[in-house]
Amino acid sequence: MLQNKSFVRKTKQGKVIKVVREHYLRDDIYCGASFCQNCDTKSARFSSPDSTILVVDTNVVLNQIDLLENPAIDDVVVLSVVLEEVKNKNLAVYNRLRALCSNTLRRFFVFSNEHHKDTYVKGMVGESPNDRNDRAIRVAAQWYKNHLGGPTRVLMITNDRENKRKATEEGISADTIESYVKSLNQPALLDLLVQPHFSEDMEIEDLRPSKKKVIYTEHKPMSEITSGIRCGIYHQGKLRVNRYNPFEAYVGSESIGDEIIIFGRGNMNRAFDGDVVAVELLPQDQWHTEKSLSIAEEDDEEDDSIHLAPNSADDAPRITNLPQGSSINSNIAPSRPSGRVVGIIKRNWHAYCGSLEPMAMPAGNAGIAHALFVSKDRRFPKIRIQTRQLGNLLDKRIIVSVDTWDCQSKYPSGHYVRTIGDIGDRETETEVVLIENDIDARPFSAQVLSCLPPLPWSVSPEDLSNPIRQDLRHLRIFSVDPPGCKDIDDALNCTLLPNGNFEVGVHIADVTNFVHPGTPLDSEATQRGTSTYLVERRIDMLPKPLTEDICSLRADVERLAFSVIWEMTPEAHVISTRYTKSVIKSCAALSYVEAQARMDDSRLMDPVTIDLRNMNTLAKIMRQRRIERGAITLASAEVKFQVDTETHDPLDIGMYQIREANQMVEEFMLAANVSVAEQILKSFPQCSLLRRHPSPTKEMLEPLLRTAASVGLDLDVSSSKSLADSLDQAVGDDPYFNKLIRILATRCMTQAVYFCSGDLSPPEFHHYGLAAPLYTHFTSPIRRYADVIVHRLLAASLGIYKLPTIFQDRPQLTSIADNLNYRHRNAQMASRSSIELHTIIFFRKRPTDTEARIVKIRANGFIVFVPKYGIEGPVYLTMRGEKGGGEWVVDEQQQKIKKTDGSIAYGVLQSVKIHMEVVEPQPNRPKLQLSLI
Amino acid sequence: MVGLSVGEKHFIQGGIAQDLRTDGRKRLTYRPISVETGANGSARVKMGKTEVIASVKAELGRPNSSAPDKGKVSIYIDCSPTAAPQYEGRGGEELSMELSAALRQCLLGGKTGAGAGINLSSLSIVDGKVCWDLYIDGLVINIDGNILDALGAAIKAALSNTGIPKVNVASTAPSDEQPEVDVSDEEFLQFDTTAVPVIVTLTKVGRHYIVDATSEEESEMSSAVSVSVNRQGLICGLTKRGGAGLDPSVVLDMISVGKHVSEQLMNKLDSEIAAAEATMEEE
Amino acid sequence: MEYVSPEGLRLDGRRPLEMRQLRAELGAVSRADGSAVFEMGNTKVIAAVYGPREVQQRSQQLNDKALIRCEYTMANFSTGDRMRKPKGDRRSTEISLVIRQTMEACILTHLMPRSQIDIFVQVLQADGGTRSACINAATLALADAGIPMRDLVTSCSAGYLNSTALLDLNYVEDSAGGPDVTVGILPKLDKVTLLQMDAKLPMDIFENVMQLATEGCKAVANYIREVLIENTKQLENRRGV
Repeated sequence: MLQNKSFVRKTKQGKVIKVVREHYLRDDIYCGASFCQNCDTKSARFSSPDSTILVVDTNVVLNQIDLLENPAIDDVVVLSVVLEEVKNKNLAVYNRLRALCSNTLRRFFVFSNEHHKDTYVKGMVGESPNDRNDRAIRVAAQWYKNHLGGPTRVLMITNDRENKRKATEEGISADTIESYVKSLNQPALLDLLVQPHFSEDMEIEDLRPSKKKVIYTEHKPMSEITSGIRCGIYHQGKLRVNRYNPFEAYVGSESIGDEIIIFGRGNMNRAFDGDVVAVELLPQDQWHTEKSLSIAEEDDEEDDSIHLAPNSADDAPRITNLPQGSSINSNIAPSRPSGRVVGIIKRNWHAYCGSLEPMAMPAGNAGIAHALFVSKDRRFPKIRIQTRQLGNLLDKRIIVSVDTWDCQSKYPSGHYVRTIGDIGDRETETEVVLIENDIDARPFSAQVLSCLPPLPWSVSPEDLSNPIRQDLRHLRIFSVDPPGCKDIDDALNCTLLPNGNFEVGVHIADVTNFVHPGTPLDSEATQRGTSTYLVERRIDMLPKPLTEDICSLRADVERLAFSVIWEMTPEAHVISTRYTKSVIKSCAALSYVEAQARMDDSRLMDPVTIDLRNMNTLAKIMRQRRIERGAITLASAEVKFQVDTETHDPLDIGMYQIREANQMVEEFMLAANVSVAEQILKSFPQCSLLRRHPSPTKEMLEPLLRTAASVGLDLDVSSSKSLADSLDQAVGDDPYFNKLIRILATRCMTQAVYFCSGDLSPPEFHHYGLAAPLYTHFTSPIRRYADVIVHRLLAASLGIYKLPTIFQDRPQLTSIADNLNYRHRNAQMASRSSIELHTIIFFRKRPTDTEARIVKIRANGFIVFVPKYGIEGPVYLTMRGEKGGGEWVVDEQQQKIKKTDGSIAYGVLQSVKIHMEVVEPQPNRPKLQLSLI
Repeated sequence: MVGLSVGEKHFIQGGIAQDLRTDGRKRLTYRPISVETGANGSARVKMGKTEVIASVKAELGRPNSSAPDKGKVSIYIDCSPTAAPQYEGRGGEELSMELSAALRQCLLGGKTGAGAGINLSSLSIVDGKVCWDLYIDGLVINIDGNILDALGAAIKAALSNTGIPKVNVASTAPSDEQPEVDVSDEEFLQFDTTAVPVIVTLTKVGRHYIVDATSEEESEMSSAVSVSVNRQGLICGLTKRGGAGLDPSVVLDMISVGKHVSEQLMNKLDSEIAAAEATMEEE
Repeated sequence: MEYVSPEGLRLDGRRPLEMRQLRAELGAVSRADGSAVFEMGNTKVIAAVYGPREVQQRSQQLNDKALIRCEYTMANFSTGDRMRKPKGDRRSTEISLVIRQTMEACILTHLMPRSQIDIFVQVLQADGGTRSACINAATLALADAGIPMRDLVTSCSAGYLNSTALLDLNYVEDSAGGPDVTVGILPKLDKVTLLQMDAKLPMDIFENVMQLATEGCKAVANYIREVLIENTKQLENRRGV
């Protein structure tokens, strides 16, 4: 089998190491055609001998991956030399290509030409690696041609003129991707093509080349960038565009240990959000002046929209620098350095969701139109595309990819990928939300579903006799959840012990009994990371039979659980904690409202109600103790929709009411999570999955302090305890004042994150918001993968099961934690977007007057927060475009905006009456508008 | 180390005196030489049963302030205990040191690098700032006399097999800083070995001297002179070993014979190296 | 990092259960009583055996059996990164010990009391699996020296990367940080004489990996036996038998 070996010689940068590697060539690499007489056809993909088999080169894959993903293109040979080059150049494209190759519905076959004895080519003296690879592709194409013979046509697809010429000379049919696609006679496919760089019919502006001017500065060559970074002239980092102001971006730089602010598209110099860029600092005297410029610079973009009020600093608009005015004491140190992008080290281009900017149908030009695509995510610039189906696309949500952005174009150019649906259509918009947040809403695959136990499922005698499982069916266990909850993952019990203490149990669905490590089900759940809750639907992390039936701790059925059981004194002091797998039978699935009603109804004396009251008493003590420790009672404006079950249209919208019952359940879940965190960390100090909440920095709390100061409130933010205390004392004239301050405080903080305990030191484990030194997630394994991991850790710590191997691989564990944070955050963003979407749908037919609170003063108005609907948005005092308004002046210190004649003044936190209405300034682009009454 | 009887000693000496050595060679004939080159700047040379390996590695370094326009070459020789049990542990150190020192004298010239057999100036990249440091490691695997000549030949073969990566120097670097260099991983410059000398050791046994002595013959030597001679016939280095003193005229005579023999050795070696590289290519 | 492609090929083109190319040569060192070169792919070692001979240091002499000594050295140029290590560093000492113990277990030392056998192993190229290659080379050299042995000892390693058991890791795979199980067996007697692993591995996977390494040892044993038989035939031919 081992055919031959040859040496590949290579040196690496730095110490100049010579590497010699063996390279085995084989005779057992097959062609992938099921009709081939000579090859093993087990993993064959090509089924028809009359087809045209395409051999694509690296650049075709890199540039035209969207096209390749279209089912119209099939029977493609992917050579290992191409795979390797793609992998080195663009990992995202590589992953997509790999997905295509492993998709059994597509006919993409990987041919390991580099290890085939007949197709391996050795680099020749004086031949560049590129030329060598091109030759390898030709040799492989030739091999296919000779190997398959007969009616099968082998076509090499390359846009490299030289390579194509050589191929033709060698008798290989070769074509460019454009002419191949044209030969397919499907005009719509042509839209998917990435246009070659400087083709004549590219842009209208190109017709007047003399008028073409350079808009952006040329990027520095890579060598200059690397040397610049080394000498400290340039700084490398990932560019993050402000979600709420696309003209402002930040580059976190390790070299200066701070974030560099980039103002304006000019300074961003064609960088996209997520690109790794090289930045040059601007001279210090230019550090602040750019801001106003940048917004005025491009007023064709809307930079204000109504959105959901943020819940944490991660959602909130970034306030980067203090508004600069000469009147303010100038000894405030310039907050952060600003800079400009000089080069892009790594692009993060992917596909974007959005719609075309409305335009008139162009006449003539063979139906080809040049249109501007506006991404829904405002962090991305408009993208110029070319289409032959403008009429179809104008009212649609579409997906577009970016191809190039040269310094003479204001906008990047890209190409159409696919249509999602009509703008404004709820389903289309929901899909947009899912795509934008990278949420996999596809149905579970057959492979995943095959991991489920057969239905109907019930607790088996083996489960009951299993020594690791305690039979707790005799306990009076019940669950308390939001109304209509089907995926019940927690249940509680509270039993009075003869010694006057309470035995309190938290019973969590035993998901890991069904989701085994290494199964397709498990890897799917790892990928999804969390369930996503949209207004009208839920995207599950696990298949429905598990979430709603087998795992769900429903009333009156026996279910498997993982229990944390404490013995507590009536003063809620924990005497002992134990953990066990169990079998339970819930006697009631209550809603929060029901539970609350039972507790409040003094006539009721049934056992469940008494348990509830006991638990509530304990929970209140625990809560009080937690608050004394410094836990912060945070507040957010959560809204709840009532959705029509038939049409899924929102019927009503309102603040989500938090009752004692909610807090009671929450308290016990927190306690269970803390107990479990302690237990797993004790057993696995290096590989536990925990959750931490970093303390907010002074800088992050700055906006809160400024707002508080303007209304004469002095907050002490030196510790979570002092902040909690000062929040408690922040009582204004009206009852809502305290909540408002809490909401403002909450949005200054970042969110808690998962991490692997081996990656950080114990002091960093701290959970600021809960004032707990250790915390994790254990209580919702049905909808969060983190809890699944923690269940496995807990089981292993009890010696019930052995720890899956993955826990020994720290880098992988870290990457799982990172993925969980990413998924978690995306799920939240998606929920928020879904709520925003439904808010618009709701108000479309219901113009409303309501009360709002001013949360921020601006030059031309202020931002209000509408408590009832949880949204936030601008109210303009001067109309847009009316530059010389002048009659309003802003008092920064007081956070007030006044009329010059002093007749009217608005201050921060003040209550105002506003009118809410959905307007359509452009067809099919509805948006919510707030105006002062 | 080689235990010989009086009879055997006489046999060896007598043979040399009559220009017919125990293995049938004449006094100035070499044993068969074979050269094999590896992929990574290395070569194995066999002279009869003597077998050595030499390997060259290049690293970027800073030139010495005393010779800013020259690169640096270090030579280290190790004697593997496989060759003889007495080299076990630190046992081979003395011989290793002696061989390293002799090779340095023969190939590298004086402290400043002036007059070196290996062209040190060709290793300079930016004068006074960046240069190539060549590390030459030799390993003696099998000993049957004449190790120095074998090592010299192996080093020459290894150098001719060494590709030095092409280096691009960023032109913008200010004069007082270390310049940025970009090492190409595709383009290599073949090290020019035409000027690298060969080493010929003449071993004096009785009144005669022989080349390429075996261990047995070496045990009978009174002294030995190693001459390194380059293509042009210029002497690049010289060492004398062995206790007995030599008459200056004999030394001169030995040198001129060495020079003469070196030409044959050089030609033989060059053709062997070329053949070895040809087989490498075929693989 | 992908060490096994979805097509089932390793970075060097082998499949997971394949060993690198083996090559062996007897009698490489003229002065030694027995010697061998053994190559597993790019890993190349020379072993030389001196003895049985008089014990060099009287104090070490054993009256009931032969004294076995072993020294492992690595050439400076054997790895990609040039290093100059002093002789007898920790790693060399450890490997010397491993080789000595493994070989001692199969040499019939009681037949040669008051004598000494030296085994010197020199690594010329290291590309993973040096331990195994050294043991295989030493076995061959001992056989070449005609030292009486119970059986041939052969060794091979196996690892576990990308959830796949891999036979005979090369340097790149070895540096991946996964487990590396080195096994040495007496193939005729079917006994394990050497077992080393340097990472955590669950029991059931360990069993698979060890099984794989053992299979590798058997394949090496077959090869070594062939080499020895071929060598003997040549010796016969030379003698004109």
